[in-house]
Amino acid sequence: MTDALARIHAAFADAGVTGRLHAVDIDTGAQLDAGADQPVCTASVHKLCLLVALHEQAAAGTLDLTEQVDCPPEGRTTGPTGLAAMLDGARLSLRDLAYLMMAVSDNAAADLLLGRVGLDAVNRTTARLGLTRTRAVHTFGELLATIKEDAGPGGAGALADPHVVTRLRALDPARTNRSTPRDMTRLLAAVWRDEACPPEHGAAVRRLLGLQVWPHRMASGFPFDDVHVAGKTGSLPTVRNEVGVVEYPDGGRYAVAVFTRTARTSALLPAADAVIGTAARLAVDALRAP
Amino acid sequence: MDLVRHLECFVAVAEESHFGRAAARLGMAQPPLSQRIQRLERHLGVRLFERTSRQVTITEAGSLLLAEAREVLARSEALMATARRIRDGETGLLRAALPPDLSGRTVAALLAGFTEGAADLELELHELSTAQQLAAFAAHELDVGLIHHPCDVSGLELGPVLRRELGVLLPGDAAPAGLPEVPLASLTGHDLILFPRPAAPAVYDDLLTTCARNGYTPPAVRHAQGASFVRGLVLSARAVAFGPRDAHGDGAEDPGQGPDSGVVWRPLTGAPLALRHSVAWPEGRGDPAVAAFAGAATHALRTTAGASPDLPSRPLHLRPASEYWL
Repeated sequence: MTDALARIHAAFADAGVTGRLHAVDIDTGAQLDAGADQPVCTASVHKLCLLVALHEQAAAGTLDLTEQVDCPPEGRTTGPTGLAAMLDGARLSLRDLAYLMMAVSDNAAADLLLGRVGLDAVNRTTARLGLTRTRAVHTFGELLATIKEDAGPGGAGALADPHVVTRLRALDPARTNRSTPRDMTRLLAAVWRDEACPPEHGAAVRRLLGLQVWPHRMASGFPFDDVHVAGKTGSLPTVRNEVGVVEYPDGGRYAVAVFTRTARTSALLPAADAVIGTAARLAVDALRAP
Repeated sequence: MDLVRHLECFVAVAEESHFGRAAARLGMAQPPLSQRIQRLERHLGVRLFERTSRQVTITEAGSLLLAEAREVLARSEALMATARRIRDGETGLLRAALPPDLSGRTVAALLAGFTEGAADLELELHELSTAQQLAAFAAHELDVGLIHHPCDVSGLELGPVLRRELGVLLPGDAAPAGLPEVPLASLTGHDLILFPRPAAPAVYDDLLTTCARNGYTPPAVRHAQGASFVRGLVLSARAVAFGPRDAHGDGAEDPGQGPDSGVVWRPLTGAPLALRHSVAWPEGRGDPAVAAFAGAATHALRTTAGASPDLPSRPLHLRPASEYWL
């Protein structure tokens, strides 16, 4: 295990990131801790908490997942995917909005769901599951608004300036949506053990995590046809995250949370994306070692 | 009343929008927190929050005072830092670090400038790489340092970011050496000599990415650090290396790198490559001593190393996987 930890830290350093990782065997509880209790900015990883809160309310009967929601083009939260990128009005069920939120990290779908579920309910859900260090303090639209405000008139281009990066509230866990790697593996383990919501809802949450389209982060560490990877990414300037569950055909299943801050301020950092897979694989291999 | 402690409570409630969460963050119970806010409101004669049964929202007056409250807290932290420094050293001690790649001239100018601005302070100077400085900041062993960008700047405050333009060292008889300014793309076919990547992976990757973006992808990268070893490789392997203008260009100190040695230095067209520096210190721990060091370092880099303000950023195209959008 100490060897694995050293290799994980070396992989993070080689990719030019500061990384925090927690990995746990969902069935035995064996774990690997590389900064598991450090506060981290969740970014879009918090959409997982929102998804679980949505299913909790559905299970309690306070909402119906097939309920139709009007999604007018005006006032949509911005983003590069899903409804956030579409131009015309649409009408979708709550569960299809949830699909867009998880598969392509659709910010507009997430805020429509948040409008229905409520920020307080998301926090009640995470508190109920014992995630004491996890908290959502703003919607995804509000989160993006702080970046726009803090970046100033230079817009996205200013985000390459280290000076601007140091003043982004969105990158300070004390002032934005936050968690710890250990809280996130605890949430994933609860989902996989059907402790977060009843089995039919647990299955729906697991299905959506498995439909995420991005291949470049955690999934890149497991290029094996017989291994299933389900996860949710999160990204902001200098932040690259993913939390997920890796399942092997022998029944082994592992919850892994990787949160990184990159040294480089570039928007495109393939090495930082890939090291999330590399570190997750090192961790899972260590947990699977005989 | 203890104004600083009360302002801490005000800022915590404002940032959390919730008395329970603010109390947890401050490590205190909720009733004394509510009392403190009420006492502060009486003291200031201003209502800071609107309270409903479930929600706390900051009033307009509260918003107007919030920035100044944060300012008072920051100044108070700085005062405590200075006091700590005075207590720990006889006259006050500033623990500072510089990277190994500065010229002697720059270091001398920095020290002279600092002594002039803060004569009563003792400076404990270390030679540390950026990675070592970041670790020392986290361990509370360093007050201020001059770092290379890019690096993970979380938890830091920065002085102005300055760039030291890089030119190319190449064999005097190589074709591009005949040009007054060398486009990066004209180096095609030459191996590149660069410092070993583990020393600073992000700086290394940044340099290679900028080379690629400008049409130069070296067939091979060889690793070397010492100046004479680099020069030897440039001559023997027909390779090229990068070096800052202040070390190799006009007015450089070392005559061994002049035209006679067989290696020439040329500026790169459009100055696409640079070493980027700034002074850095841990967030909230800035004080007059840190400011004096930052001022002296910035001035020394500008006057002796030809450093200039960082260039305005290039266009940036966010791709869908970025997940954020402005």
